Amino acid sequence: MSGFALERLVPAHVRAFEAYVPSPPDDVLRRRFGVAHLHRLNNNENPLGPPAASRAVMARWEVGQAAQYPQGDGWHLRRAIAGRFGLDAEQVILGNGANEVIAFVIKAFCEQGDNIVTADRTFAVYEWLASFSGVTPRLVPLRADGFDDAALLRAIDARTRVVFLCNPNNPTGSWWDHAKLARFLDAVAGRAIVVVDEAYAEYAEEPGFPDSFALMARHPNLVVYRTFSKMWGLAGLRIGWMAAAPAVAATVRKTSISYSVNLLALDAAREAVWDEAHIAATRAHVREMRAGLAALAGRLGLGMIGAIGNFAMLRLPIPDTVAHRRLMARGVMARAMTSFRYPGWLRVSFGSAPAMAAFAEALEAVLAEG
Amino acid sequence: MLLPPGPGFAAVGAEFIRGVAAATGIAPRLGDRLALIAEEVLAASPPSAGQVSLALRDRRHALRLELGFATADVDLAGLDQARRQDGEDTADVGLYLAARLADRLTTEPGVQGGLLLGFDLARAYPARVAEAPPQALGPVHGVPLEPDDATLALLVDWAEASGAGGPVFRTAARVLDQRAAGELAALVALDARRRPLGGLFWQPFGRRLMALSGPALLLPEGAGRAALATGLLDAALGRLARGSIQGLVVLEAAPDMPAEAFEVVGHLPDAAGGQHPVLFRALEEDPGGIAWVPAALRPWVTEQVRRLGLGRDIEEPPPPARATGAAMAAETDRAAGRVTLRPLLAAADAAAVAAGNVALFRGQGFSQFRAVLDLGRPEHAAFAEGLVQAGLAPAALIPDAAGDLLLLAATGTSR
Repeated sequence: MSGFALERLVPAHVRAFEAYVPSPPDDVLRRRFGVAHLHRLNNNENPLGPPAASRAVMARWEVGQAAQYPQGDGWHLRRAIAGRFGLDAEQVILGNGANEVIAFVIKAFCEQGDNIVTADRTFAVYEWLASFSGVTPRLVPLRADGFDDAALLRAIDARTRVVFLCNPNNPTGSWWDHAKLARFLDAVAGRAIVVVDEAYAEYAEEPGFPDSFALMARHPNLVVYRTFSKMWGLAGLRIGWMAAAPAVAATVRKTSISYSVNLLALDAAREAVWDEAHIAATRAHVREMRAGLAALAGRLGLGMIGAIGNFAMLRLPIPDTVAHRRLMARGVMARAMTSFRYPGWLRVSFGSAPAMAAFAEALEAVLAEG
Repeated sequence: MLLPPGPGFAAVGAEFIRGVAAATGIAPRLGDRLALIAEEVLAASPPSAGQVSLALRDRRHALRLELGFATADVDLAGLDQARRQDGEDTADVGLYLAARLADRLTTEPGVQGGLLLGFDLARAYPARVAEAPPQALGPVHGVPLEPDDATLALLVDWAEASGAGGPVFRTAARVLDQRAAGELAALVALDARRRPLGGLFWQPFGRRLMALSGPALLLPEGAGRAALATGLLDAALGRLARGSIQGLVVLEAAPDMPAEAFEVVGHLPDAAGGQHPVLFRALEEDPGGIAWVPAALRPWVTEQVRRLGLGRDIEEPPPPARATGAAMAAETDRAAGRVTLRPLLAAADAAAVAAGNVALFRGQGFSQFRAVLDLGRPEHAAFAEGLVQAGLAPAALIPDAAGDLLLLAATGTSR
């Protein structure tokens, strides 16, 4: 095909970006690592699965519906969410997972040469989406494993369009309370959109955790992300959402993709809103598993951090990437944290009790190998 | 510049390169070597090669002549130094000479397909006496950072004078040129007076790895040194994370390298008859992959895969499609007496070519031999048997899910 010069057609910021390569499917991993079973403690999934009502929707789902397009913008689900949080349905935008919603916001507010501000050790997708969109990610070091408000404010300049906060932070589980978030929004003073990614907010039991939807009334530059992948056990269906002040939401809607959330996800998520019994059961499970992991860390002499969320990090005496491989060879998947810029740390999701027991046994064996 | 292949335009290409070299201030001696390489390669290029592109790049610490071919199916056998024998045709002799004139020869896929040959000539740097570091340095102030040129030069001077860090931390002018060419990255820790206390360098190693050198530590013995080394390493890991680099390799660790942050993936023999560990630090999770392993090496690789806990499908590689014409590239370090061989083009005669290369360089007095095979590329396996027959043994398996690197090594001028 003479005349086709691919390089000429690819923007420099795309050429420079390295594609993310997901892990192979579990069956391939099991074969490669020679194990019969893999406990998934690497993606912060909810071992309790979806709430009962969501399960019922899926169980009675008529497969013939797969031939139909979903309703284009999640009419019913947006109203259900809005009703739960005292919002107008037009303030809510759905996406095929929260990752898609992150992309909507960057596309809506950033152009080449602009920047976003976020932390260096947080959820990677803000940084990645900015980078391959030609937008500079300005990465601010964490302070004491938490977002550094003063440093974030110093990083904002005239080309900053969006500040991404992850609250609680993945992977550290650190969090800002309502007063701190309010002070930060005051200090930003509308110079940039402030996104607060609350993917793990439903795990927060602390009374001081922000009521971000209330702050939105006073700070129209605030955007809140939530997901059905964590607490609600619907990660496999890919559905997340954001809420913003009406004018901001109307702007983001221009860059959002209609029909991107599938029909089953819309129905299952709608039934999940807002199952308090499921939240209570999941939180109880997390409390029990956190206590067990803390006991293991104490017994092995490992540092542990993680206040809120269905995960915690352990400080290992060996490289985390080595521990990851050795755990895989024992049938346990945890997340090596070098790629989160936490070399030597391992993030562990609070899985089922048998999975956590398998992890404890495997980790002890791995560390005994030295 | 684009020229037709064959002897007819070889002199034109040579004069073009010589002219560009002269116009850009390159020493006549280097310009003549580059021109001769261009002439020999063009003359030996078959008509089927299509238009050949010529480009001269100033990499500061080295000059690089690139010859691009529209097709990857160019017979490179003449570039293999082991093939030089009486009675070979003149085209092969020309390519042989071109390969001998370069300090380093590389092949890589062209941007739009095809093949790119790169011939590197190292620049010479005048010898000078490095300045010794002051006595009262430190303590560490702030996080390690990418140094400006003056700070980097000072670090290298002080490291050279105090014998710290290893051979990469020598000749400040060369290190600055390497960094300017994008072939070396550095992190340096400073004290409150912004004087360098220590540094860590890394350079490309294969497709997706970096070779780590150092640390060069200028602090006196004491508790601060270990913390400084760890701080430099953590900063380097943070700097490289979330990029294209999958891991760090340490072929010759400086004494202060924090060994607990690495795994030992093998051992390399040294000139003194001993051996030293090869260290590796993965930056990403290894999800497993395919390793194409020849039968002769299967037991060793299988054992290493098990020992390192790698998830690998170990496969028998198919035989090369070509019957003849296998070639290897050689990178020589005459001062160290070391030659490193890498496959250029696989064919059914790969084993003989590999053994011939080792024999040739042994005959030239080289005493340290290394060969790097990419187990993600099935065609590389064809060279293994010849390397083993010539006395090289598997020394290290450097993990990379997209293609583990198998390092073979031998020491000694005779078997």
